[in-house]
Amino acid sequence: MKPFYIVYICILFVAVSCTDVIEVDVPEAPPRLTVEASLDWEQGTAGNNQIIRLSTSTPFFAEQKISPVLGASVQVTNVDSGAEFIFEDQNNGQYTTSSFVPVIGNTYQLEIIYNGERYTATETLIPVSEIVDVFQSTKDGEDEDALEVNVTFQDPADTINYYFLRFQSDVDLLPELYYIKDEFIDGNEFTIYYEKIEDEDDGIGEFQPGEMVDIAFYGISEQYHDYLRLLVEQYENSGTPFSPTPVPLVGNCINTDNPENIAYGYFRVTEAIKTTYTIQ
Amino acid sequence: MKQKKKGNRAAYWGLVLSLILGSSAVHAQNNFTISGKVTDQSNGETLFGTSIFLRGTDIGAITNEYGFYSISAPPGSYTLVFSYMGFNEVSKEVVLDQNMTLDMELVEFSTQLDEVEVTAEEPERAVLRKPEMSVSKLNIKTVKQMPVVLGEVDIIKSLQILPGVTSNGEGSSGFHVRGGAVDQNLVLLDEAIIYNTSHLLGFFSVFNADAVKDLKLYKGGIPARFGGRVSSVLDVRQKDGNSKNFEMTGGIGAISSRLALEGPMFNDRGSFLVAGRGSYAHLFLKLAGEDNSASFYDLNLKTNYNLNKNNRLYLSGYFGRDLFDIGGSFSSSYGNASGNLRWNHIFSDRLFSNLSLIYSNYDYELNINDFEFDWVSSIQNYNIKYDLKYYFNDAFKLDFGVSTIKYEFDPGQIKPTGPTSAINELQLDKKRALESAAYINAEHKLTDNLTAQYGIRFSHFNRMGGQPLNDYLNDRPLVYNSTLRIYERQDPIGETVYSKSESIETFSNFEPRVSLAYQLNELSSVKMGYSRAAQYIHLLSNTTSVTPIDVWTPSGKYIKPQLSDQFAIGYFRNFKDKIYSMEVETFYKTVDNRIDYIDGSDLIGNNTIEREVLSGESRAYGLEVLLRKNEGAFTGWVAYTLAKSEQRTPGGDAGGPGINNGDWYSTPYDRTHDVSVTGAYQFNDKWSFGANAIYQTGRPITYPNGQYQYEGVSIASYSERNADRLPAYYRLDVSATYRPNRRPDKRWKGEWVFGIYNVFNRKNAASISFGQNLETGANEATRTAIFGIVPSVTYNFKF
Repeated sequence: MKPFYIVYICILFVAVSCTDVIEVDVPEAPPRLTVEASLDWEQGTAGNNQIIRLSTSTPFFAEQKISPVLGASVQVTNVDSGAEFIFEDQNNGQYTTSSFVPVIGNTYQLEIIYNGERYTATETLIPVSEIVDVFQSTKDGEDEDALEVNVTFQDPADTINYYFLRFQSDVDLLPELYYIKDEFIDGNEFTIYYEKIEDEDDGIGEFQPGEMVDIAFYGISEQYHDYLRLLVEQYENSGTPFSPTPVPLVGNCINTDNPENIAYGYFRVTEAIKTTYTIQ
Repeated sequence: MKQKKKGNRAAYWGLVLSLILGSSAVHAQNNFTISGKVTDQSNGETLFGTSIFLRGTDIGAITNEYGFYSISAPPGSYTLVFSYMGFNEVSKEVVLDQNMTLDMELVEFSTQLDEVEVTAEEPERAVLRKPEMSVSKLNIKTVKQMPVVLGEVDIIKSLQILPGVTSNGEGSSGFHVRGGAVDQNLVLLDEAIIYNTSHLLGFFSVFNADAVKDLKLYKGGIPARFGGRVSSVLDVRQKDGNSKNFEMTGGIGAISSRLALEGPMFNDRGSFLVAGRGSYAHLFLKLAGEDNSASFYDLNLKTNYNLNKNNRLYLSGYFGRDLFDIGGSFSSSYGNASGNLRWNHIFSDRLFSNLSLIYSNYDYELNINDFEFDWVSSIQNYNIKYDLKYYFNDAFKLDFGVSTIKYEFDPGQIKPTGPTSAINELQLDKKRALESAAYINAEHKLTDNLTAQYGIRFSHFNRMGGQPLNDYLNDRPLVYNSTLRIYERQDPIGETVYSKSESIETFSNFEPRVSLAYQLNELSSVKMGYSRAAQYIHLLSNTTSVTPIDVWTPSGKYIKPQLSDQFAIGYFRNFKDKIYSMEVETFYKTVDNRIDYIDGSDLIGNNTIEREVLSGESRAYGLEVLLRKNEGAFTGWVAYTLAKSEQRTPGGDAGGPGINNGDWYSTPYDRTHDVSVTGAYQFNDKWSFGANAIYQTGRPITYPNGQYQYEGVSIASYSERNADRLPAYYRLDVSATYRPNRRPDKRWKGEWVFGIYNVFNRKNAASISFGQNLETGANEATRTAIFGIVPSVTYNFKF
């Protein structure tokens, strides 16, 4: 669940303060391998086509934000069945396969050889829960006149579930990320809303009729939920007096040859529901 | 075996006591005693800290919190002198040939409008003879001349311009003393524990200046009668109420208004005070055109009743509340409430006692209307306390007493508010604890030049049962995963249910407190002190600044009590006829068992806090210089602090290197340099002016050292904790007070206070956040500044 308290405190804080963009000299760490290995099995598909993206980190203020990694070898193994899936280098930082076989509950291992060092990660394919409804409304949220998109899902009772929900509007550059834990809503139908509040500084406008919103809803592991929670919290709120001190994000891709040189990013294997909602 | 040990301990203390008392009692036999009470002639308020001495001798005393004093001297004729800051000195000839009682009323030497008397023990110059050190005192007249943001007199903000006291920036709650955390300050209002000192997230303090009589901040050398926090004690006392006349005081400001009523009651056998303060609702946010509001109010109450010459009852109370409403989606309220019933009893002209029954409570609620649930949490305590003071003779005074506090913690409850709510009901485990203490402390004049204060506090903490507690494999709730290089929360292997009659864990500590003052000559002295203190309850907060919704938790199986040791040494000097004074102190403080939070800790609604924390240590050291001009039309001071505050949190039982690789890192409230200059100038009868200038090293912050793309966004990578800093903070404030011509026959007296906060409109960074521009996707550093230039006008009146 989203941390409401941070939202609430920050609103007061922002109301009396003023913000501006300033120049800051920040330290520069050497580049590191970044793994975006998201094997998502979209419901209604075979799930055989998968992409793993490899890049290296860059200085914080670098204009070129993505520095693709070429020439790595990438392989995923189903630990339960022994099946191996080789991901082919597309020479643009993407490594793809069209033969992946997703099995819910099976455990997969990722192996990457890059710069002579071996990185591995292990993850289990987690099922997702059913989306009951996607609709728009105005009553919730901060502004009673602004439109919000709602996603209602049914959480199964008596099991611990974690979810990742991602919205991407076709008029916005960046997505909106939500992590959800069923601790307080176990077994219930629950609705998450995404409301856009007009902000001229950020060039953000309220939802408008015709706007298309891609929605993706994933069942995720506890460890990935914890990773994502920290990632989203630090991405959205880091540095305010009411947020925790930002810390290094540690994913699940370990370096077996040089443990200090851990990779950024994450190897996730999920079941996903994807849909697009057009604002009326 | 246990029994025997206890017996030995009692015998030991008995022996120590009889040694001290025996010798002094013999010495005292030839002496007679003068005792009594000192009050303000205009309103009957007792005066704490009046200095009383026999002219031409070294014999003297200082009145206690209830205005009581006692002096012993050999028979003879003396001139007894009463002196108190801002009051006319009174001399009285006495022939001492028997024990006598002498109550004294002092007269203020100006008829200025100052509703509150924040008293100092002496005029604000260096106190040379008393071993007391590391104590901050301010006179309310000084406080009122200081420019303040939004025109609201704020005692806590005023303390922050003294050496060794800082805040974590504008708009953050609480205060930090000598590199200590907010939760390491014991804040008492009429002896009741105040858990949150701020209104509106730190923009205002909870203390209404119209209801406050005096206050003292102990930065170190904490007297043995206080305990429970490792960093400091802020002891605030409310006015008793005018026992002579009905009086109304008040003020109208830009943000809030206040009104206080006081007067005699019970046929002049007592008095009362009722004070209220409230901000105009919808304050900041409605102005911004949003459908949001924020406001606060508080109420102070005090009454006392004189049963007879030797017995007096006091009843006091406080209730404060903050209210927020964010567009109807979230609303929240929080605040402190406290009450105290006290019985002052004078056994004899040498033995004074006070019994207190105290209740205090802090609670908050969040109403998350969009998701139809309420979140509530509270801490409350009942405290019974018995303190005695025995005046053996001029050279020896003894304080002793006992106290016990019963705590009840409700860390959180979720209550669904409607039938369609998707949120399940939840109650986190309530916790109970009992903190008891006994202390004895002596103030002992060893020679003409050397005075010592020594004492010991014995504290005991019982974390009581009445709750289940998780069991973990090898008692390790957290284990370092050396492959992934993170701390992993362990799943419980079982649960132990503790009944209400069981203890989960008990702790006890001896806390010695010693200080010495050696007077070098008429003008200067050297003081040194050592104190140890134990703290059994902890505020769980992993954010840079504490927030009103942080939760207190008791020590127990997994979290140990914090223990501090502090050494301080100081040099004190008055010069130029005591017009100027200088105080220089250095300190070194260590705290054991200071918890910190693992990377990615999640404290909200968490029933298993032990899976989020590691135990470490902290240390702080520094140099404080205070140079004051105490008298004349122009008064003021320069305060400078050079300090370091850092902590280290190794892995311990959980294994691994710990937080920040087990290296020392700066605490979020570390400030290398902190300079404040404050001045007040009395231009004429009508106009006075004030100014202060503040410079501080920026607060530690963690900068990103790179970025990478993940899920279509730019994620910052961060390096060492708190290794960078915000830009330095500085600002200049000015104020002017105008008192129109007053006709002596008119009861109505008014004054205007004009202020400008942050004259240069400097955008001091309260924070710098690193993020991605939503429109362009470029990374940028965004500075948040709270207050630019803020002018204010306040009208104060007295009737």
